Amino acid sequence: MDADAHSHEPRAPEPRSGRARAIGDVLLEVRNVTLRFGGVRALSDVSFDIKRGEIRAIIGPNGAGKSSMLNVINGFYQPQEGQIVFKGTPLKKMRPHFAATQGIARTFQNIALFKGMSTLDNVMTGRMLKMQASWFEQMLYVGRAKREEIEHRRFCEDIIDFLEIQAVRRTPVGKLPYGLQKRVELARALAAEPELLLLDEPMAGMNVEEKEDMCRFVLDVNEEFNTTVALIEHDMGVVMDISDRVVVLDYGELLADGTPDEVKADPEVIQAYLGVQHD
Amino acid sequence: MLDAILLTPIAEIMAFPPFFFEVLIGGLLTGVMYALVALGFVLIFKASGVFNFSQGAMVLFAALTFVGLEDMGVPLILALVVTAAVMVAFAFAVERAVLRPLVGQAPITLFMATIGITFFLDGFGLTLWGSEVRRLDIGIPAEPLVIGDLFLNGFDVVAAAVCGALVLTLALFFQYTATGRALRAVADDHTAAMSVGIPLKVIWTIVWSVAGLAGLVAGIMWGAKLGVQPSLALIALKALPVLILGGFTSVPGAILGGLIIGAGEAVFEVFWVGLHGGASQDWFAYMLAMVVLLFRPQGLFGEKIIERV
Amino acid sequence: MFYLETGQYKTSYAKDQQIFPLVQDRVGMVVILLVAFVAIPLLSSNYWLSTIMLPFLIYSLAAIGLNILTGYAGQLSLGTGGFMATGAFAAYKLTTAFPELHFVLVLILAGVITAFVGVLFGLPSLRIKGFYLAVATLAAQFFLVWLYNKNPWFTNYSASGVISAPPREVVPGVVVTGASGTPEAKYYFVLVLVVVLAWMAKNMARSKMGRAWMAIRDMDIAAEIIGIRPAATKLTAFAVSSFYIGIAGALWAFTYTGSVEALAFEINVSFDVLFMIIIGGLGTILGGFLGAAFIILFPIALNQSLLAMGLQNAIELASHLEFMIMGALIVTFLILEPHGLARLWQIFKQKLRTWPFPY
Repeated sequence: MDADAHSHEPRAPEPRSGRARAIGDVLLEVRNVTLRFGGVRALSDVSFDIKRGEIRAIIGPNGAGKSSMLNVINGFYQPQEGQIVFKGTPLKKMRPHFAATQGIARTFQNIALFKGMSTLDNVMTGRMLKMQASWFEQMLYVGRAKREEIEHRRFCEDIIDFLEIQAVRRTPVGKLPYGLQKRVELARALAAEPELLLLDEPMAGMNVEEKEDMCRFVLDVNEEFNTTVALIEHDMGVVMDISDRVVVLDYGELLADGTPDEVKADPEVIQAYLGVQHD
Repeated sequence: MLDAILLTPIAEIMAFPPFFFEVLIGGLLTGVMYALVALGFVLIFKASGVFNFSQGAMVLFAALTFVGLEDMGVPLILALVVTAAVMVAFAFAVERAVLRPLVGQAPITLFMATIGITFFLDGFGLTLWGSEVRRLDIGIPAEPLVIGDLFLNGFDVVAAAVCGALVLTLALFFQYTATGRALRAVADDHTAAMSVGIPLKVIWTIVWSVAGLAGLVAGIMWGAKLGVQPSLALIALKALPVLILGGFTSVPGAILGGLIIGAGEAVFEVFWVGLHGGASQDWFAYMLAMVVLLFRPQGLFGEKIIERV
Repeated sequence: MFYLETGQYKTSYAKDQQIFPLVQDRVGMVVILLVAFVAIPLLSSNYWLSTIMLPFLIYSLAAIGLNILTGYAGQLSLGTGGFMATGAFAAYKLTTAFPELHFVLVLILAGVITAFVGVLFGLPSLRIKGFYLAVATLAAQFFLVWLYNKNPWFTNYSASGVISAPPREVVPGVVVTGASGTPEAKYYFVLVLVVVLAWMAKNMARSKMGRAWMAIRDMDIAAEIIGIRPAATKLTAFAVSSFYIGIAGALWAFTYTGSVEALAFEINVSFDVLFMIIIGGLGTILGGFLGAAFIILFPIALNQSLLAMGLQNAIELASHLEFMIMGALIVTFLILEPHGLARLWQIFKQKLRTWPFPY
């Protein structure tokens, strides 16, 4: 839509308020989701929505159910109660494969790359669903098989350029340092051209510089491709800087939902999550 | 078809039930021996996470060494002691030469390494002792045992009793001694066990030794029954499907799995012969395990596998 | 220095995605093909062709097949012998039932039948992995060999349980099977097949299918989340792998031995092929060839050295020693170079790049 108009603006990681983006209608809605593992309630009756084009953060202390929430959204876990409404279609349960075909991509807290494959091959797997070649064409490397390999290679190379991982294109990702692995994982998710990108602690374990780079990438992705982003992050500075709206979970329950400023001011959040306010 | 699958076998069973029970009990007695080999396997798996393909080769190697020594004129007891010592030495060698360098590797790599051990052990045993079938007489009477209407093979009963006693001892050892507790701790979490001061290397050597000794007993019993020959390794390999069936983190599972497969293959072979034409023991255990896995991936008694991201 | 890519700039992705992007590799490949197609038939005796080259090529094909399943898709199988037997007996039944069917077509159909059987025994892979699966594939090994051995229908009721390859022509006048085929004809026939099939395997490995296999191998959960269907991917790997192994089995029975019984495909065949890919290199096409060469040549070298040491009549000893050394080698490879000979070759090329000035 008119997001294109904004993509020509400078792309430095400015403060949140300085960015102008088109936030549209609701893309995904989590409706009264309850998830249990045996007797343990990981999520109870959680509801919130994610709007097109926004950066949505999910925060909360350890064990609050954040990762479970992402796992429910992309179908790895099936909730016992509640629904996921994606693009207006209510789904009793989401399956990972279906989520992928619907344009939901994600990264993982503990990095889930294909360690034996090169960076390029990892990114290419992200294009898997866009390749049509039959097994026969692949076997002979003719027709669509050959054409698609080249076409998608070009797309993947663009993403590799964008995330500045050209130098490790041919390296097996198992050999890459942690920070680069995180980037490759983001590249793989981006290769799928997702409408909704789920990031599970994209900056965990990074130093300040790496975090800044990663922030810039997330903001760029959001602005340039108008990709909706939902992310889990522990670094409050990052969350408050880059996200449009924040969901706070605690013990599997929704504690607060609003803009960073609203959430920051919410007494319940301060009490339950941030504890005593310092400084 | 229905006839061969259902009617004929059942008719035969009903026609003369004592025969059915003889077959069943014979199978159960064999099953005890499977259980013994399987238990050695469970110990190794629980304590080191290694899926030990060479369990069958250990049985053959122990039996070959034992019978080889006996043929050289070494007295029975001394041969037993020496072979036991050899199996312990083997455990040390495996820990030093295979497990230690491969620590932290993917389980499947360790599994393939144990296939290598299998070949080495088979080749080593046969190079030392030759491949001809050797008779082994340990003085267990072979007269049939008559209980009521049932004729049982006296040898099988004694062998099963010996193996059963050992199975029980191992199970109790695992459950109630300090070493057993350490083993279970290691099985639960290597790193945590190390951090409370349980020496991993010692534990590994112990479990491989115990598995080797269990293999020795099973090898002697089987060797005395069938003669010591290379095919013993294949028979003992059935401990693998036994475990898969039982769920191989579970000691009772290994025992029950052994009994189920022992009894199942005997009954299937004898009464369903019209269906398959014989020699079904070659595959029965594996097919049964495979079918069970299709429906219960964790085996009949194993813990449910929970996957996490 | 002789293997330097400097100056070979790739100006398009198409050029960069060739199987052999470097001139040296392309030249190397041409040389190898020339040797295989011209030098070997010219220089080697019939004996060498039919007892070394044929089993080498056929084993390479089986190893490529197993490598697709185990090396690329990460599903360990110990059922290779059973699948080779399936290919052999399927080809036998087909060609005796329809003698006018062209032999290449018979081979392809035998491969397809084996693929079906492979998928059937691959079903447990949908629920289990790793060594659980390995044990399940043992069921294929023991059951299939038993089936062909026990059921006389598969051998057309031959009294001995042995199937003998009837003579089949590939082009009029050139018999490539059984006792009446000349070693040269058989060699060329098998060579062409293996080259074509290896090329196809490479193509699959470097496109979408291969990446899906490797993704499942490396992390099945992540693969599912980016939209790869684990079930379909695993079963495709079983199908393609069994197709190759089935053709290898049929070639084994029809061109190499000429007559064969089911028990010839016992479990040690499965281990031999597994060892080929461990030693040759998991997850490479080249590894299949290197591993097969090693496993074929190793016993010969061992026998020769025993003879040289003055040990006559040492056939039994040699076979026992072979087991022992092979077992030790497997463990050694797993410890020192889990990626096998193919990786050593790569390292060697890397060294060659900078030689003689490594700094």
